[in-house]
Amino acid sequence: MDKSNNKLFIHRDMKPVTLEHSVEIILTPQFYTFIREDLDIRFAYQAKQIAASLFDDYLNASSEHQYHVNKCQNQWCFFAYNIEEIDKFLESVGIEKHRVSKIYFAQELENSLTHPIQLSEKNILQTIDGTVTLIPRQLMDSNLEFMPLDIEAVKLNSGITMGASLNSFISLKETILLSSLFLILGTIFIIEGSRIKSSVSNDEAIALQLTQKHSKYSDSGFRTNLLKKYQPIKKHELSKRQSIKDIAKLLSANSQLINLTIDKNAIKAAIKASNNNVAQQVNRNAKAKKLKSSMTGLNVKVEKKI
Amino acid sequence: MNLMTLQRYKNELILLFAVLFALFAFIYKLSANAYVKENRTEITQKISEINTILTLKKQWGGKGLGSSVAKLKTVISPSKIKSFNKKSKKLIASYSGLTGNELSKLTNALINIPVQITQLNIQQRSKNQYTMEFTCKW
Repeated sequence: MDKSNNKLFIHRDMKPVTLEHSVEIILTPQFYTFIREDLDIRFAYQAKQIAASLFDDYLNASSEHQYHVNKCQNQWCFFAYNIEEIDKFLESVGIEKHRVSKIYFAQELENSLTHPIQLSEKNILQTIDGTVTLIPRQLMDSNLEFMPLDIEAVKLNSGITMGASLNSFISLKETILLSSLFLILGTIFIIEGSRIKSSVSNDEAIALQLTQKHSKYSDSGFRTNLLKKYQPIKKHELSKRQSIKDIAKLLSANSQLINLTIDKNAIKAAIKASNNNVAQQVNRNAKAKKLKSSMTGLNVKVEKKI
Repeated sequence: MNLMTLQRYKNELILLFAVLFALFAFIYKLSANAYVKENRTEITQKISEINTILTLKKQWGGKGLGSSVAKLKTVISPSKIKSFNKKSKKLIASYSGLTGNELSKLTNALINIPVQITQLNIQQRSKNQYTMEFTCKW
């Protein structure tokens, strides 16, 4: 095969070829069934959905077929083909699958085949009543002249790929629907993840600012030691001050402070009342303020552990 | 895997990529969640600890405490001050002959200064006459 030839007619009588580059193949009617229908359908995918039912009466139900639909003028052109059969035949003539870049149907050459071309010694290809047809050579006039056809010059539009023609487990519609759902879901997860991460970034900035300003506090051990040092001071000193205030509230013209001491462990005070009633009142008030209190005659002793 | 096989399973591949995208996005969300859960407590605790230390140090170890403590010398008439020894960050003071009001005034002045009162001893010597000794540090 000439290296410059990129398009190749595929027919049963063709001789084996040796390919060193990819080719676009044009299937002759031996490899497909063609129907042209005038249908009130707008989109190709809708036409493809009814393709199988159109070929019900023409095809052998025992073998699996693939369908291709394209709009031709104001009608719909339906093609049914068996990709496995084509694949086997291509192999038999030395064309490897990966060399086939595109598959076209000879029907696309409808306008170019108004005059017959010779495919092989046995068959010719010609458009008859708008349909590209394979005709046995013997049925034609022996003096028939063939017109040369430069298929490289013919522009073909409605091609299919070998892989795409094989059936996927999931339809394109389902793929689009499910993929969109997963993409939306994924995007939601990413947005949510970013939002969650950014929620802590403000705190991170504050922490960074604080540790930059007070670098010695960046060590958690050092912080713990400082807290161990200062927190008990705060607790004990506030307790001492509150106790002094509480004891001061127990004092009056009838109850005088005898002594008050603060040491490492406790704050203690002794109060002397002018009479028994006052002493009892002081004792009750001290207990109400959660001070340990005891009364001996007119003397009331109060105590609080630090 | 050649181009034809890829084309044949094009739909499945597109769906697979979409599923993988959603899966990785979900893992990203989970990891972000785990990161925040793990770090938020740590960061908040760090901020809280530093702020607490700064406040505590300022309050209980501030530089101006020395001059605040010196005011305890002026609250009461100098004649009633037996001793007033301020060394480094420690004060040992002793007062005598304090009336009830003076005792109250002095005690209030002391407890309003954020120093550690390590020792305090108030004794009634006679009616409305008190002595007061205290040691404090900061």
